[in-house]
Amino acid sequence: MSGYEEEVEQMSFEESIKTLEELVKELEAGGLDLDKSIEIYEKAVILRNHCRKILDESERKIQKIMESSGQLKTEDFEVD
Amino acid sequence: MPETITVTELNTRVKELFLKTPAINDVWVSGEISGLRKYPSGYYFVLKDATSEIHAVMFNSARMRIDFEPQENMKVRAFGSIGMYVPRGTYQFIVEVMQKSGLGDRYIAFEALKKKLGEEGLFDESHKRKLPPYPKKIGVVTSQSGAVIHDIIMTSASRYTADIILAPAKVQGDGAAESIVDGIRILNKADVDVIIVGRGGGSIEDLWAFNEEIVARAIYNSRVPVVSAVGHETDFTIADFVADARAPTPTGAAALILRDKAEIDAEMDALSTRLQRAMQSQMRSERHAFEILDSKLDLRSAMEGLDMHAMHLDDLMRTAEHRISSMLSDMKGRYNAVDLGLRPSRALEDMEALGERVEVSLERIRVRTSSTLENRRAILEGIQDRPDRAISKGLQDLDSRMAADSKMLDGLNPLNVLNRGYSMITSEDGKVLTSIDDIEVDDSVRIHMRDGTADAEIRKKEKRT
Repeated sequence: MSGYEEEVEQMSFEESIKTLEELVKELEAGGLDLDKSIEIYEKAVILRNHCRKILDESERKIQKIMESSGQLKTEDFEVD
Repeated sequence: MPETITVTELNTRVKELFLKTPAINDVWVSGEISGLRKYPSGYYFVLKDATSEIHAVMFNSARMRIDFEPQENMKVRAFGSIGMYVPRGTYQFIVEVMQKSGLGDRYIAFEALKKKLGEEGLFDESHKRKLPPYPKKIGVVTSQSGAVIHDIIMTSASRYTADIILAPAKVQGDGAAESIVDGIRILNKADVDVIIVGRGGGSIEDLWAFNEEIVARAIYNSRVPVVSAVGHETDFTIADFVADARAPTPTGAAALILRDKAEIDAEMDALSTRLQRAMQSQMRSERHAFEILDSKLDLRSAMEGLDMHAMHLDDLMRTAEHRISSMLSDMKGRYNAVDLGLRPSRALEDMEALGERVEVSLERIRVRTSSTLENRRAILEGIQDRPDRAISKGLQDLDSRMAADSKMLDGLNPLNVLNRGYSMITSEDGKVLTSIDDIEVDDSVRIHMRDGTADAEIRKKEKRT
């Protein structure tokens, strides 16, 4: 399952929550054997943790962008 | 010595001067209505032309004399006089009669451009792009000093986290349109996920840059979706028509683009609950399937079969006993009849010995049969037990693992703890500090609270003994 963890680590929030939703739906539909159910459940937990991490940990940057002679230049922007 | 007069006296003199000057009394003035405000006492507005403007008022008494509703941008001819308002030292044009003199030039230009771009397909729904649900970078084209960028930064603080990149632009006056176009181009180059183009409210003149064709085309050609946020609730600008989404205010734009964090949290919780429920019901149905399988398994019916055999055997034995004993009594009777005198006791003994032997054999058969039955039952029950135990143990393990998992997950969510009013302290590199041994005097630490962080330095430490 660590392989899946690495895979999820690269996923965006949008992708993760979409995949999580799909897995929950698959599990809700039922008709899976026990091994498959457990596999899906474990994947779903990894995705959920990843989503929570993104929500809880991300910090934003507030910047100002300008162009001088074709080059983009950004600097931190402070609101007065 | 020149005389000294009061301000009131000065303004009163100006008022009298105005009244005595025919050139500014009872005149017709042509201009466009702008900044129209309606009050119970009358209409207040600015009359303007390309190079100048004057405050104007039309009191209710005069308003009764006209048969149309004054509108923003309306071109009018107004008849009236200049009046001085002494308390403020201001003068205004007091309108007594007003006539419509055709629609304003700007209005005509606006309608013409709207028609042209509409026909070209710039407003087509099919061209409108969907906004990304979870953008990472939001570009904003607006003035860097106005309230717009401030409002966007503030509103988005409690929402899904995204970087904000401002492309400062001039949003009114000469060169504003070009500046806005430039901002859109730069932000496209900077790979933002969505762009807000906006300014705070203002008169239609102030918003005019957003009615310029080059701005409309820049929005249409932007690779990235554009949200217009020209702070004007009622009037639409051309930019609003072309944009992929329109927000009435910059605050509205931020709310439209970024989902509320609490809402996402609630959605995540709902998904977690659904996940747990689905897994539990999956396991219940798994257990149920075992039960069905178990009942179908031949064990029970085999057992019933054995019971049937046993009954049959019992039956057979009873018949056999019955036959033998009736045979015996039959034989006994015959001996008696044939020769009672002929060694009757010996014959009787023989008969009894025979009877005993039969009894013994019958007992042996009975014992053998029932021991076989018991053995087989035991074996069958043993078989039945084993998978049952293994399966239910497996399910129990899984149950407790799941419970532990979800408990741990919820416990791990630091927000739950912070929301209850606790704070968390981390080192500069984000490591959670749980012991006094983790910190030294002069260390910099970060305090995490429910709604933000604060940096602090350790002044003193004391270990509890």
